[in-house]
Amino acid sequence: MKTKIIVSTALAIFIYTSCSDSILDKTSPNNVPAENYYKTTDELTRAVTGVYALIQGTDLGGREYFFLQDLRSDDVASGGGQLETPRNQLLIGSHNSTNGVMTSVYDGFFRLIHRCNAIISGAEAAQGDETLKKRLVAESRFLRAWAYYNLVAFWGGVPIYETFGTSFSDAKPRNTDAEVWNFVYSELNALQADLPTSYSGADLGRATRGAALMVLAKAYMFNADYTNAKTQLEAIKGLGYALTDKYFDNFTEETEYNKESIFELSYTSSGNFNWDSDGNGTTVNESWIRSQEYSAVGWRNLIPSDGLINEFEPNDPRIKDNFYFIGDTYGAAASPVILTDTKVQGNTSNFQGVDQKVSWKKYSIMYKYDPGGYYDMIGINYRVYRYADVLLMLAECENEIGTAPAAIAYLNQIRNRPSVMMPNYPTAEFPANSKTEIMKAIMHERRTELAGEEVRNFDILRWRKAGKFATEPLPYFVANKFEVLPIPQDELNSNPNITQADQNSGY
Amino acid sequence: MTYRYNHSNSVMKICVAAFIFLLPTALLAQDLLFASASQEKRSSLEGNQIYSLREVLDQVQNHYHVSFLYESTVVENKDIFTKVKFKGKVESTLSTLLDPMGLKYKKINDHTYSILPKAPSKSSREKVTLVKDIKESASLFTVPEDDTSYQTEVTPEVVDITVTGVVTDETGSSVPGANVLVKGTTTGTTTDAEGRYTINVTDESSVLVITFIGYTSKEVVVGSQKEISIQLSPDIRQLNEVVVVGYGTQKRSSVTGAVATVSSKDVAALPVISVESAIQGRVPGVQVTNNGSPGTSPTVRIRGVGSITGASQPLYVIDGFPQASYLNNIDTKDIESVEVLKDAAASAVYGSRAANGVIIITTKSGARDNKVHVEADTYYGVQQAWKQLDLLHTPDYLKYATDLTTNAGTAIPQRIVSGLDNPIYAGTTQTYRQTDTDWQNAMFRTAPITQTQVSLSTGSEKSKLYTSVSKFDQDGIMLGTNFNRYSLRLNYENKLSKRFTFGENFNISYSKTRNQAESGGRTILQHIIHSVPYIPVYDPTLQGGFRAPSGNDGADPENPVRIATMDQNRDNVMNLIGRAFVEAKIIDGLKYRFTAGLNYSVARHTEDMPIFNDGFAGRTTHNLVDNRTTTTSPYYSNQLTYDKTFGAHTLNVIAVAERQGNSSVYLGAAGQQSRNDISQLLGSSNQTATGTLNENELLSYLGRINYEYKGKYLVSASIRRDGYSGFAPGKKWGNFPGVSVGWRLNEEDFMKTVPAISELKLRASYGSLGSIANVGSYEYQSYINTNTAYDFNNGSTSGAYFDKLPNKNLTWEKTKMTNYGVDLGLFENRITFSAEYFVRNVDDLLLDVPPSPSLGYTQASKLNIAAMKNWGGEFVLGYNKSEGDVTFNVSANVGIIRNKVNHLNTPNAVLYSGSNADFGGFNITRTIAGRPIQEFYGYKTDGIFQNQAEIDAANARDNDATTLFQANAAPGDIRFKDVNGDGVINSDDQVSLGNYLPNFTYGLNFSANYKSFDLTLFLQGVQGNEIYNGTKVLGQGMLRLFGAQTDVLNAWTPDNTNTNVPRAVSGDPNQNSRTSDRFIEDGSYLRLKNVSIGYSLPSGVAQSMTGNTLKKLRVYISAQNLLTFTKYSGYDPEIGNRYQNSAGNTLINGIDFGQFPSPRTVMAGLQVGF
Repeated sequence: MKTKIIVSTALAIFIYTSCSDSILDKTSPNNVPAENYYKTTDELTRAVTGVYALIQGTDLGGREYFFLQDLRSDDVASGGGQLETPRNQLLIGSHNSTNGVMTSVYDGFFRLIHRCNAIISGAEAAQGDETLKKRLVAESRFLRAWAYYNLVAFWGGVPIYETFGTSFSDAKPRNTDAEVWNFVYSELNALQADLPTSYSGADLGRATRGAALMVLAKAYMFNADYTNAKTQLEAIKGLGYALTDKYFDNFTEETEYNKESIFELSYTSSGNFNWDSDGNGTTVNESWIRSQEYSAVGWRNLIPSDGLINEFEPNDPRIKDNFYFIGDTYGAAASPVILTDTKVQGNTSNFQGVDQKVSWKKYSIMYKYDPGGYYDMIGINYRVYRYADVLLMLAECENEIGTAPAAIAYLNQIRNRPSVMMPNYPTAEFPANSKTEIMKAIMHERRTELAGEEVRNFDILRWRKAGKFATEPLPYFVANKFEVLPIPQDELNSNPNITQADQNSGY
Repeated sequence: MTYRYNHSNSVMKICVAAFIFLLPTALLAQDLLFASASQEKRSSLEGNQIYSLREVLDQVQNHYHVSFLYESTVVENKDIFTKVKFKGKVESTLSTLLDPMGLKYKKINDHTYSILPKAPSKSSREKVTLVKDIKESASLFTVPEDDTSYQTEVTPEVVDITVTGVVTDETGSSVPGANVLVKGTTTGTTTDAEGRYTINVTDESSVLVITFIGYTSKEVVVGSQKEISIQLSPDIRQLNEVVVVGYGTQKRSSVTGAVATVSSKDVAALPVISVESAIQGRVPGVQVTNNGSPGTSPTVRIRGVGSITGASQPLYVIDGFPQASYLNNIDTKDIESVEVLKDAAASAVYGSRAANGVIIITTKSGARDNKVHVEADTYYGVQQAWKQLDLLHTPDYLKYATDLTTNAGTAIPQRIVSGLDNPIYAGTTQTYRQTDTDWQNAMFRTAPITQTQVSLSTGSEKSKLYTSVSKFDQDGIMLGTNFNRYSLRLNYENKLSKRFTFGENFNISYSKTRNQAESGGRTILQHIIHSVPYIPVYDPTLQGGFRAPSGNDGADPENPVRIATMDQNRDNVMNLIGRAFVEAKIIDGLKYRFTAGLNYSVARHTEDMPIFNDGFAGRTTHNLVDNRTTTTSPYYSNQLTYDKTFGAHTLNVIAVAERQGNSSVYLGAAGQQSRNDISQLLGSSNQTATGTLNENELLSYLGRINYEYKGKYLVSASIRRDGYSGFAPGKKWGNFPGVSVGWRLNEEDFMKTVPAISELKLRASYGSLGSIANVGSYEYQSYINTNTAYDFNNGSTSGAYFDKLPNKNLTWEKTKMTNYGVDLGLFENRITFSAEYFVRNVDDLLLDVPPSPSLGYTQASKLNIAAMKNWGGEFVLGYNKSEGDVTFNVSANVGIIRNKVNHLNTPNAVLYSGSNADFGGFNITRTIAGRPIQEFYGYKTDGIFQNQAEIDAANARDNDATTLFQANAAPGDIRFKDVNGDGVINSDDQVSLGNYLPNFTYGLNFSANYKSFDLTLFLQGVQGNEIYNGTKVLGQGMLRLFGAQTDVLNAWTPDNTNTNVPRAVSGDPNQNSRTSDRFIEDGSYLRLKNVSIGYSLPSGVAQSMTGNTLKKLRVYISAQNLLTFTKYSGYDPEIGNRYQNSAGNTLINGIDFGQFPSPRTVMAGLQVGF
């Protein structure tokens, strides 16, 4: 009897505790499976925000993108021992396929492309307002095209993904240069009509038609297709952009989204800098690291190169908007501080024959704060593209395929900005008497007006390709190698369709 | 001669009884016999029911709840032909029972009786003779010499000498119930409750034999002594030793798998936080590497690395509760034994979680001696770093800084150019030039370690209880690190009735860890090496009061003292683990046990980062993080156990159905305060909160059969079937079988002729195991993340994305292991030897495989796509001896393990790891198929380029001087070896530079007792491993300006060419600091892990001095890591894994990023028993 009781009790407990297999079916209460998302325009909207957030991250706009552009140009020099090795390698041309800075940017753009593709694929069946949906898709296609524009300019032909990979075996081989450029052209041509020319309120900062036209124009410029470039640039001109009166308004926090701005990356000073490579992990607004990296009172990793500071005409007021010199004042307008030599670390430049410490002022928070090493208070938006660039590219197009007077007129528009008011071309130094001389003036004006705005690298690449340089600007340059960066080793290691045989020459 | 302290029913007894019973029939037919058959035969032989005396005594014990002590030979071969009648008191029953047998009893205490022969009588001699005849006729057995003692006719002498004394154990505690026998006679007695005995001997040449279960027997010549006190030493290897295996226990002699035991004494020998550190060096094949500041979990690898990117930690089972967490919260002094299940057959009962071995921890329980034992154990010690590096002082630093920057063509830091004679801060006259901060001295300290434990235990035949409280405090040898623990344990067991037993184990503990705060991705040691000597530690003019180099100094290390003092990173864990069971005997041999257990923990992680300004960097807000993880793991298990001996067949069968859940609730909050004196989140700004819930469930069914024939042929087979909720549908279930066989040769006739061999067993096993590795609860899916935001028009909007490829085929990592073992005991097990050989193949290994970057997925996905093999051997040699006042034992163990990765995701796939910006950003390890896991991989150095001509010659090696041999090389730079001879140094010239895996690991333990003194020496070492010495990269890598080691003063210059340190040049254009043999060092070491000397007050003395209050008093001093023999030039050769506790950093073992060094500890302790 007792035995029976024990056995039946045991059996009861056994049944209770073992249950059925269904307890093994568990789903996450934390987040939505990816395949159940991208079903509504609301979800698409969030996903598009996720793309912008990625661009804001450390691998791209937050840090590595501007570094990579600057390090590949002749606008900057090493600030001293502070400059980390992988950055220095790029600056002196000793980088190889494992360079971390370059790899970060490569990864960042492809992650951007993945996020865009998820939206573009999902949108077809998504529920919601068709107009909104169309715009979201166009934004995504724009951002994807912008990524490919950068990728092809930095690395040459890269794999084109128009849908997102769903398995490891979806990794693709390299497309050719031409295929990628054609993809950029066709995408931007196709999507621009779906983007509004401007936004307001909480949408301020989204990609506009102007931005799409700008990237398209730049793509054509890169390949010396001035005819097509000019068409796009003139279209931008028709959208109502104008130069700000004050040159420096393009680099302050208070004058964001102004009439000159075509595309901006947003940063705010209310949150810390987010070190995550993709900008993930925080729902707080993010500040920008750039000020800390470049500022006179800061890490001063990169300083303006001697070539750049001496490119400026001696009386150019933009010198003081671009650079800090010892003795300048900085900080809050109410209590300005003198920049003394002891506050500035690192290397000295030679400016107009005098050895002195020159530092970047553009995008530095020092115009209103004494940063003292704090990197979490810079909220200046990164103006990726602004209208001055449009005018300068128009000048170039006119010089190549139009009329010299038109070209000079565009250049003078830049010089006639109220805060600049430099003498009109032709000048003694830039007589602008021939196509070549006008080109010289254009190169000069672009380099000074857009100094440190991550324009110079691509200008060098395209002008070198078009044979515009009398002397090579980069001292380490070797043909058939330094035109492009090496495909990151990680890609070669993990993509069966891209091997060492597919690597860019020289690496 | 075997005495047994016989207190409960056991397999052994049934076995012995049945064996004796069935001897005659076994002789007639050596065949498989079953109970019914034997019953029949016996009845026909005797015509009546026969009971052995042992059986009857067991019944008496159970009936009266008493214990009997007896020498085996006394009760052996005595049969009773009538059923025992229980009448009245136990004494009368015993008298009735024993008298006719020529035996008597002696009452030791209320519950313990010793059974002794009366003076040898005719009848007993006859009986013995009879038995002897049977044995001889059996011819299978030779009678041991000792057993003939009863035949010796003892002539009683009239002159008796009375000898008295006390019997104590190795700690000096008295031993009640020990047997004292005059050798060669039947005169004997048992010690009383105080361990005292009185015995009469016939002459001075008499020899006393003292025996007690669990201890080696001891012989003393009486001589002229009247008082002989004897200290017994534990028998390190008992044939009847019981080993805890999964879901039960087994006799050591019956074990067929590879199971190692660490005793409570060894576990408690070191002043360490966790059981993991406590077993370091004790078990061959188990490598334990300590990892850092107090409270950091060590790396534990059983039989090699079982996983590449997953967890390779073993499964911990505490008192039957599997997957116990927070081992730091278990007091090592509560541990009775640690069993390590190393091979697949032994661990197969734990199936899907056992691939990396199983460590079973059994905590203490009370002894059934009807006494209350109160023990207090306390120690206090001080710890220190045992080594410091030679870092630059101010004058040398200034020279170095000037050279480094000048050679690179960069500016000399402003301070060095013109600021050195300025005061270090306003208001002081001390200048930078006068300042020479010893940053090591500022950070390292002499740190206390102390623990106190008080335990109470008691037990009777019916119940046993063990309870303890303890407090443990350890400060780290660097500022800002410590660990504290409070723990309470209660273990209880009660025989509710004849059928039911109830038991429980319960532990609640609270631990507080202050972790080493890393800053800027650099370890504290890294900041120490980097620090600039002319910068002061403190600067009262700055907010926070600390100072760091600024832009003027051209270097940006953070002030390590500031980080350690101000920034707080803490983990507080409340852990509750317990289980209770009810066991019911259903029918004879069949038991059912229901166990319910719970592991509940609340882990709170806080970070407190105050506002400061160190003159260069700082924080403007007081950042606070307050996260907690509440984990609930309920466990229910139903177990049926069937134990039966049928003749020569012993069978143990278990069947288990169980489930274990795990639910983990995470809640994370963060915010910022505007002032430093407020350290909680109330009223903070920028508040964020996040939370997740992760739940998983493991459903399991398992069965095991252990079968033994004649105690010499052993077979064990088991299978477990597990279902885990975290895998994709269709991939949730797996089967994990194991089988092992053993053959005890010493039980064979042909071995009986070799009396030197007391034990010889051959074992073999094979089994399959799984590992859930780090697979999360919902890992096979890819999910949308919403933890990102973008500020359109400067207002925050949250975004969504997914950045991982799903893997719908996710399943267990699978291990298949073959094991061969031999156990040998010589000279009554005075010398013991064990050897194991194993081959462990791991398949379906999980790799965190990053998809091609162009696919755009940030996260790696877990794929089951790698295979690896570990194989090796393990050896343990022991020797113990006791002679006169001296007893000692020595044991040595060696573990040899080899590793090879057989397969990665693709045939040419490579995993690189270890890159660190401060080491130049180069990968340090490479994992590739066909080679051991994570080899150091880089360049070989080939001296230094002494001049431009050498560089030109190298450039021209391929007959084309324009193709550079080594880009950017200049005189004074390191010349790397052109391994493939193509005239250019590139990635193709990289080779394997060694491995962190040692050739072998070993431990050597020596312990001795002399009178009241005890001595322990414990040496532990690893041999043949390499370390990537990151501290050397920091110390003499000269990547950019930072503090450095004095080695940089020997940097190459045109005037100092005979050196192996390259030229000082900031920016390292030649990449002299790339991963190369320059930074690979031999990591072998031999450590005097523990040396301890103790003195115990002789038992009688302690008791008489304290009026019987104090039963035991032992004082000891000991030292840990007193001596370390190594060629390694960094702080400490015990280099684990910097990121032990975070996933995805598994391939950086043996890289010294500047990990927290192991301290040298000197301590004194006191143990008292009441």
